[in-house]
Amino acid sequence: MSQNRKLRPDRSINGIIPFLSILFLFGLGTLIFGVPIGLKILAGGFWIFAAYSLYIFFRTGNIGHMLVGAYDVFVGAMMYVAAGYVPGRWPPSREWALAWIAGIVFFGAFLIYLAATKKIKWRGREIFELAGEAVSETGNGYTPRPRPVGKIGFNKPEILSFARFCSRHLVAVAYASPRQVSLVPVKMGDEYTFMFRGIASNPEVTWISFDFDGEVVVHISHKDYLDYAEPLAFDKLCESLGLLFIEFAELHQRGEGVRVIDRLDSLKMSYFS
Amino acid sequence: MDFPIAAKLGSLLAKDYAADIFELLVNYRAISASEVATRLNLHIQTAQDFLEGLAELGILSKEEISEKKRPYFRYLLQQKRIIIDIDLDQVKRLPTAANLALRIRERQNAGARFSVARSDDYITSIAIWTGEGRERQERKIKLTTPQGRFLFHLPFPGAAALTIEEIMRKAGVEADLSPEILDLVQLLDKYEVIEKL
Repeated sequence: MSQNRKLRPDRSINGIIPFLSILFLFGLGTLIFGVPIGLKILAGGFWIFAAYSLYIFFRTGNIGHMLVGAYDVFVGAMMYVAAGYVPGRWPPSREWALAWIAGIVFFGAFLIYLAATKKIKWRGREIFELAGEAVSETGNGYTPRPRPVGKIGFNKPEILSFARFCSRHLVAVAYASPRQVSLVPVKMGDEYTFMFRGIASNPEVTWISFDFDGEVVVHISHKDYLDYAEPLAFDKLCESLGLLFIEFAELHQRGEGVRVIDRLDSLKMSYFS
Repeated sequence: MDFPIAAKLGSLLAKDYAADIFELLVNYRAISASEVATRLNLHIQTAQDFLEGLAELGILSKEEISEKKRPYFRYLLQQKRIIIDIDLDQVKRLPTAANLALRIRERQNAGARFSVARSDDYITSIAIWTGEGRERQERKIKLTTPQGRFLFHLPFPGAAALTIEEIMRKAGVEADLSPEILDLVQLLDKYEVIEKL
């Protein structure tokens, strides 16, 4: 697969800001209130991440995020218990140490597996890269209007099944309404703020809509369009993105959903981008 | 009768002294502006303007009288019935093969903002910026559903332009709705939202 990327290099640090923030609060709390309070702040931070990961699990059905949530609960609990050891009883008991090691090994193995297989990776950048691959013409032509791409012969249950597939594999987040399903590709780093937005069809978001009559419509946000290294022909880009999702839907419908994941993995993008 | 003539006639008939003047015109063989003014206690210019207005519309005729030092006009009623008859088909935008064959697409950087229906299959309104500098204003135009479907299928900037007829077909807009589509196209062209090729 060609490594000539259509997207600009990903230099965003959005993804690590939450972690750095917790670390900062831990340091500040420790400095002001002492190590026990600092550790409890750290525990609280991990529990907030746990709540977020569990929300993602319930929202998307992605099992990997449930494991991440469980890991965050574990680390938070261990930090909370460790806080009790600090004033005068450090090092912690042998039981705490063994539980810590066992937990880290257990969860570590799973997390490494999930990261290596990209099962918890948001696939937004892969989607936009694949859409851009098919477009060689440049010339801008950006418009905020959505573009009808075509029609597919799928019924409502089939479209909903495809939407659930996309959600589960973090290909796109699905927003269902009585008339259609809108699929929104999410890039790594954007998921923290994105997941709490209610409505997909707004001009600041890229979406691919499948209505239950089979009509497929695409809208690319200006922000996502500017993420391409060149001003690709916008009409062709919208068409390409729509056709990509139509292809994915057809693969899924034939029971070949794994080919969709293979296509995304073939780009060999870093887990963090 | 066209709109400007009907509007002029309407504005004359709307005067609160119109009925009184017509009563004089019906009952007098001929009457002058000064006779009308003194009879009805109006300013002579008011009476003069009213009678001249009716004369321009052909409801009255006027004959020049040179009795005294200054010649003046006497007005005679020519029509016993006044009918305002406007054929609205005059202003109907009739689709022709030529205007339906016009190739159009959205203009690049048109700056228009499109509001999409919840069902994501038609545009409900378009906001266009008019004026320049301090007088720049946003004008929002609400669209009918056929217009919204038409606009939804308008080719993007830089894309291959399509004829109006082709876009209507893609949008599923019936041919007898073409007058309102052509009206929209004329408006979008006026505000440089679309370009014709």
